[in-house]
Amino acid sequence: MIFVIDDDEIMAECVAKATHKNVRIFSNAIEAMNALSSGENPEMIFLDILLSGPDGFTFLNELMSYNDTMKIPVVVVSSLDFSGKDLRNYGVVGVLNKDEMLPEEIKKYVDEYAGC
Amino acid sequence: MDSEVDGILVAAHELKSPLAVLRQLALSLDGMDASNEHIRSEMVSVSERAIKQVNDLTKIRRLEDGLFEMEPVAVRAVCDDVIKELSYLFRFNQRNLFVKYSNHKRIVTANRELLYSVIYNFLLNAMHYSGEETRSELLVKDDHDFVKIMIRDYGPALPTDVFKEIKRGFVAKPTSIAMRPGSSGLGLYIASKFSRYMHANVGAVRHSDGTSFYVDLPVSKQTTLWEM
Repeated sequence: MIFVIDDDEIMAECVAKATHKNVRIFSNAIEAMNALSSGENPEMIFLDILLSGPDGFTFLNELMSYNDTMKIPVVVVSSLDFSGKDLRNYGVVGVLNKDEMLPEEIKKYVDEYAGC
Repeated sequence: MDSEVDGILVAAHELKSPLAVLRQLALSLDGMDASNEHIRSEMVSVSERAIKQVNDLTKIRRLEDGLFEMEPVAVRAVCDDVIKELSYLFRFNQRNLFVKYSNHKRIVTANRELLYSVIYNFLLNAMHYSGEETRSELLVKDDHDFVKIMIRDYGPALPTDVFKEIKRGFVAKPTSIAMRPGSSGLGLYIASKFSRYMHANVGAVRHSDGTSFYVDLPVSKQTTLWEM
């Protein structure tokens, strides 16, 4: 299971489709945190940063604050420019720019972190 | 900043997300046969060009904060990268692009990202105004202490009022100029803004059978990028 968190429903579906895996889509960070709290354990998360309500960094901070969620690999999917920024301390294993990303790049991350 | 231009920038921000979505939707279409594949490619290409233009517009606000560093830039490498990106589009639209580098001074002082956008916008403009099977030209040559990048098309002549505005050295607004048919002059506005930021001269030459746009970039005192 993979989580996709994006308040743009169509973009979330495009990302979900490119994973070729079982995906759960969330339109905000609170719903995703609730799912994690109730015991769901995704293999990885694709996360938008500019979300309605708590933003992606708030979600990342929450994720890092729990022992059982801090190791979930997160790929940030955003139109913001993160070049030169090191997000590894937030558990981020990769950044995809929404303006330029290709479905193959999404699949590549899935193969690496949720391949089995 | 002018409120009219400010409004354009706000609109640009708003357009970014739907354009990115459109691009993803086009990319996610599968099972296209060969005859439809080019439509899908064109959908991706059109949305990518629109995203690029929107991104250029959003950069205009960042110009005011001086966020783009001036650095030694290899002109030919930037031109080559733009040509590589646009070659598909030229082929797809059955346009030819002639390129000639005759400059001996290869390093200019510029911002690579902004220079890329200037050349990209001029070339896109040239392609737009050149007829099928006609050519556009990219010429790079020395001009005293500057390197001149000139992009020529064989389209309709530039209206006199637009020419005068460019001659004055600056295009103030995309909406203020009645550009050639089918254009808002947005690309020229962006190129003008970016050129001014880089202390480069931007201008145009009218021909009876088309227009040349040029940008003059100051030669860098650094002779090679290997010294960096």
